[in-house]
Amino acid sequence: MTNPTDFLLYADAVAKRYPDGDVRALNGVTLGVRPGEYVAITGPSGCGKSTLLNVLGALDVPDAGAVYFKGEPLATRRDLDTFRARQIGFVFQSFFLMPTLTARENVQVPMFEGPLTARAERVKKATDLLELVGMGHRASHRPKQLSVGERQRVALARALANDPPLLLADEPTGNLDSANAAKVLDLFAQLQKARGLALIVVTHSDEVAALADRVIRMRDGQIVSDCAPATTTARTVSG
Amino acid sequence: MTFVAFIFKNLTQRPIRTALTVLGLSVAVGSMVALMGIAKSFRAAQAASFEERGVDLVTLRGGDAIQLTSEVPEWVVHEVSTWPEVKAIDAALVDMTEMQIREPRNADDVPPSKPVIVQAWLPINFGFGDMDVLEGRKLEAKDEGKYYTMIGNEFAKSVNKKVGDTITILQKKFEVVGVFKTSNFTERGGVLTLLKDYQDLSGRKGVVTGFSLRVNKTTSDPDAEVEAVRQRIMALTNNKGDSLRLTPQRPEQYLDNASHLKITAAMAWMVSAIAMLIGVISMLNTMAMSVLERTQEIGILRAIGWPRRRVVQMVIGEALLLALVAAAFGSIGAVGATHLMSLFPQVNTLIEPGIAVSVLVTGTGFALLIGLLGGAYPAYRASRLLPTEALRHD
Repeated sequence: MTNPTDFLLYADAVAKRYPDGDVRALNGVTLGVRPGEYVAITGPSGCGKSTLLNVLGALDVPDAGAVYFKGEPLATRRDLDTFRARQIGFVFQSFFLMPTLTARENVQVPMFEGPLTARAERVKKATDLLELVGMGHRASHRPKQLSVGERQRVALARALANDPPLLLADEPTGNLDSANAAKVLDLFAQLQKARGLALIVVTHSDEVAALADRVIRMRDGQIVSDCAPATTTARTVSG
Repeated sequence: MTFVAFIFKNLTQRPIRTALTVLGLSVAVGSMVALMGIAKSFRAAQAASFEERGVDLVTLRGGDAIQLTSEVPEWVVHEVSTWPEVKAIDAALVDMTEMQIREPRNADDVPPSKPVIVQAWLPINFGFGDMDVLEGRKLEAKDEGKYYTMIGNEFAKSVNKKVGDTITILQKKFEVVGVFKTSNFTERGGVLTLLKDYQDLSGRKGVVTGFSLRVNKTTSDPDAEVEAVRQRIMALTNNKGDSLRLTPQRPEQYLDNASHLKITAAMAWMVSAIAMLIGVISMLNTMAMSVLERTQEIGILRAIGWPRRRVVQMVIGEALLLALVAAAFGSIGAVGATHLMSLFPQVNTLIEPGIAVSVLVTGTGFALLIGLLGGAYPAYRASRLLPTEALRHD
């Protein structure tokens, strides 16, 4: 029997239904992600990928089933905001950077809920993270002064602000050209190796999926396969 | 970056809307501060004048809360002045009338006029001893019947008059024999004549509008001595034995009851309440729009771990920051406005330039309250946004 404590993040028979239109977005999804693992979730539009990412990231609550982080059920936690702030980094397709803030200031936004209390510490950390994603030279620029690829790298630095062990990304290369997408994917790979970061990436892109340790394919709210990217024969998981 | 800096930068996202909101609130706060400041300066000027002159009791006719409408028989003043427990007395017939700005050019010409407060004093008034004569001399008993006048320095400046000139009040020319300055701005901004002359001119012979006095304090209980004089004045009767219905009051009590001060204060508060309501609605509109426009942004903040508490702090903080800036501009505007108004001849004798610090603090408090009330509901709405809903918002 699978034990949730064996995983960094574990979803056990998670279901989610939206009353509007009676849509069954997730239907008994079970999956586990280990520390440092890179998991890609793919599937057609409307198959439940983003809903699954929201439930895994404690942005949404499942109707049935449970999500465990380091073996602890999220449903019993009263501090889900703090949990998101310190344990999870989010990267979105549309970056969602604050337009009035510089790159360095954008990276500091999650730090207000992080462990660093001194302003100088936050500034240094933000500068270091921008250096890490190759944006040190653009730290004082506002989002509209940056290319889309640069914006996504700043968003990635922001996601790492509080040193989370898990990064959730929703179509992180969806708005990028192939050159910029390649840079972002390189960064994902570096971070996974250097920081032992677990990555869950929702994507339509075969290139993104090809870099993952595992590719989970979804359809109609269920996982239809969970396998290594090179494997052509799928292992049916959900039921 | 500090949280306050973050809040400040949010306000720069829509600079025109921020500027217009600050402008609107500044007008609201400025009108509040200016009106309350003027109302307070009226009272403060009178309180300072009483204090400086050592006035123990102010006497008006019972039921009259304002000296302009009060009538007290003049013989009472002369009688009270002979009491051994009364050290000095200061009686006046105070009138608010119009002064002709210039001479009529022909028989049909009605020259423009300017409101002026006339103080008609007895030559024995202790007020003469407290004034600084800047030019000319003081009025004396021997001037009675000559229609001489002393004019306050603010009044002299506003009408450009000096010793030797004449002014026309109630169609009678008064010759200016002196220019004076006192601590009371209504006196500095008005004219002073002798009681008898003005009684004759205004048809109010034998009456004054009120009197003040200093009590001879010889014991260790001065309050009791003042109270004894107060009781004695209240007991005064006419020759038929009827009570004169005089109401001697301590200066602070007089100021509390003075209806002109009460009306001024009430008007200031009423206009302030309306300005505050407009300010709250304006702030509510601005912050509600701001939250609606930033639904997605707030959703991101919630997604990356900001608790509801911090979202509330952000929105309320933005509202308070707007209110603080508005309070600063409004206060500067109010101080500037009272100084500007004091330059206009039509009103400069009625307005003391400058605003008390306590009024500026009250105005800032009002502004912060506007920020708090106007920001509360949008902050609540922002904090209730679900990250997933907000992220789907276009």
